[in-house]
Amino acid sequence: MIKLGPGNLRIPKFEKPVYIVAAGQTDFRKKYPEKTTEELCIEAFSMAALENDLKVSLSELKRMVNFCVYSQFADHFGDQLLAASKIHDALGFDPLGNIEVKTGGATGGHSVLAGALAVASGYANCVPVVGFERMDEVPTRQGNAYIASAACKNFESELGWMYTAYYALMAQRYQYEHKVPRETLAKIAVKNHGYAVSSPFSQNPMRITVEDVLENTLVSDPLSFLECCVMSTGAAVLILADEETAYTITDQPIRLTAICSGTHTLRTADRRPMEVLRLPHEPEDLYKNYQHDWPGFSSFLAARMAAYLAYHMAGIKNPVEDLDILETHDAFTISDIQTYEDIGLRPYGRGREFIDSGECYHGGKLPTNLSGGLIGSMHAVGATGIFQINEIFWQLQQKWAKFHADPRMWERYGKTKPADFENLQVKNARRGAAISHAGTGSHVTMAILEKV
Amino acid sequence: MSIELTQPGCELLSAQPVVIKNVKNYFHIHTYGGLSPFFAGLREGKLLGTRCGNASCEEQRIFLPPRTHCPDCLSPSVWVEAPTVGEIYTHTEILYPGAGFKLTTPCPLISVSLEGVCTKMMSYLKEGQPRIGMKIKAVFNMEHPTHTILDLAWVPA
Repeated sequence: MIKLGPGNLRIPKFEKPVYIVAAGQTDFRKKYPEKTTEELCIEAFSMAALENDLKVSLSELKRMVNFCVYSQFADHFGDQLLAASKIHDALGFDPLGNIEVKTGGATGGHSVLAGALAVASGYANCVPVVGFERMDEVPTRQGNAYIASAACKNFESELGWMYTAYYALMAQRYQYEHKVPRETLAKIAVKNHGYAVSSPFSQNPMRITVEDVLENTLVSDPLSFLECCVMSTGAAVLILADEETAYTITDQPIRLTAICSGTHTLRTADRRPMEVLRLPHEPEDLYKNYQHDWPGFSSFLAARMAAYLAYHMAGIKNPVEDLDILETHDAFTISDIQTYEDIGLRPYGRGREFIDSGECYHGGKLPTNLSGGLIGSMHAVGATGIFQINEIFWQLQQKWAKFHADPRMWERYGKTKPADFENLQVKNARRGAAISHAGTGSHVTMAILEKV
Repeated sequence: MSIELTQPGCELLSAQPVVIKNVKNYFHIHTYGGLSPFFAGLREGKLLGTRCGNASCEEQRIFLPPRTHCPDCLSPSVWVEAPTVGEIYTHTEILYPGAGFKLTTPCPLISVSLEGVCTKMMSYLKEGQPRIGMKIKAVFNMEHPTHTILDLAWVPA
């Protein structure tokens, strides 16, 4: 039994407020041989510096920077150790200090956390967070084996060399405990592939139906190809600043009111049952009669821990009421349902209601993954957590259309704006959240952004 | 004297942009260290787990996968034989494994629930169709061991 002490549950605090001032990214592709990783990062940084209506020039912005954070999941993929050093040089930031963060699929979220800690403490006042992944050097099967090297090499990796199989184990157990219909899981894939249609950045846009998903080839029972995230190459950048610096750079900074981290055992196998950690809006007796092991294989303690800390830190009393927009780490349809419960959108066992009620759609109470998410748009792992926050940032600035609706954005990536394009700007969005997630829930961050 | 290539160069896959194929062929020397008794046990048909060596620790159940030290109090573990009969906690079928997978597909992947064990180790079902709650027993590949976790599997009990 894991017992949390009062010190373990101390609510994090920033000494100084932290703001996001600019965001930029490339489009995301299965293969991107036209550009080196350095070129992709320069492109994402240039978009952040030049296309966010900043009050300073690119050169002025660069001269304000005093620390950098780099986000890359796996050296295996890029086949270049110390890749961050090449990116840092390519961006012309030498001799400024930098760090590279590595926490699997949650590397993007933790990189933003690292940058926020630097700003919040006063260590730095302007910090670019640069995420990238080059996953196109190896065939997909080898890529899956590389990703599965982030499972336990002694006791797990050999059993499939495939994360989808590890998530499928969770899916089967979740379905056994909570009887979620396959149709509900399929709806998540339909939604996220569908929202990807309206993003010029997306790799896997599709108009599909629930039947298409149910009839799709299985990777690992019950998960089909359409229910799994893409493998991408691309980059994403955001720039953090303290208050004074933020208002020197832009008139529209968005405040990062919280970014908190939780973890759990790398091996799902090792998760011993414990008492449910309750979120601020969950009544004391909510789980008194809960029939199943918690977190078991159906829930992510890491996500619950991150949400617990972030909600308290940002003063969120009820996520569905208090948040206007959300990006989850929808690596697989099953993990998305699990996450809805972990972050308290519904009590444990009832995550499907968040989909079935329609709240998760554009126009609903809490639109989720309007970016297309990892299933529809991208999973260039080191860039992913940053991409998610970028999309929320533009939504809160009411600038989503500028980056998605302009036909020139589509032409930039050799695409044509589709006839069935939808305007996915959430009107009057004031507060948003993004979940970055690793392993089968080994590391999770939750970021909360708020319009000033 | 002129310096010459001693290895073949890279294959050119595309002229514009210039894309090359960089072939790798190497190995790692991996140690199981303090976990070695588990893998040595598989060769003898034994399923070894660990228990916290500190009698006053709250966690006295068996860990499987084993741990060299108790995660709660960090005391060194002691090795114990784990039950070899249990049940399936959850399962899936691997249809498209990643590169390097050494078993035939479709392969039923399972998580195993064992009495007195506080963890649910991942393994595979060598025979039969898995279902949650199904009784199973451990089998060991002792004839041609791979010296990996693949030397442990389960069959219907």
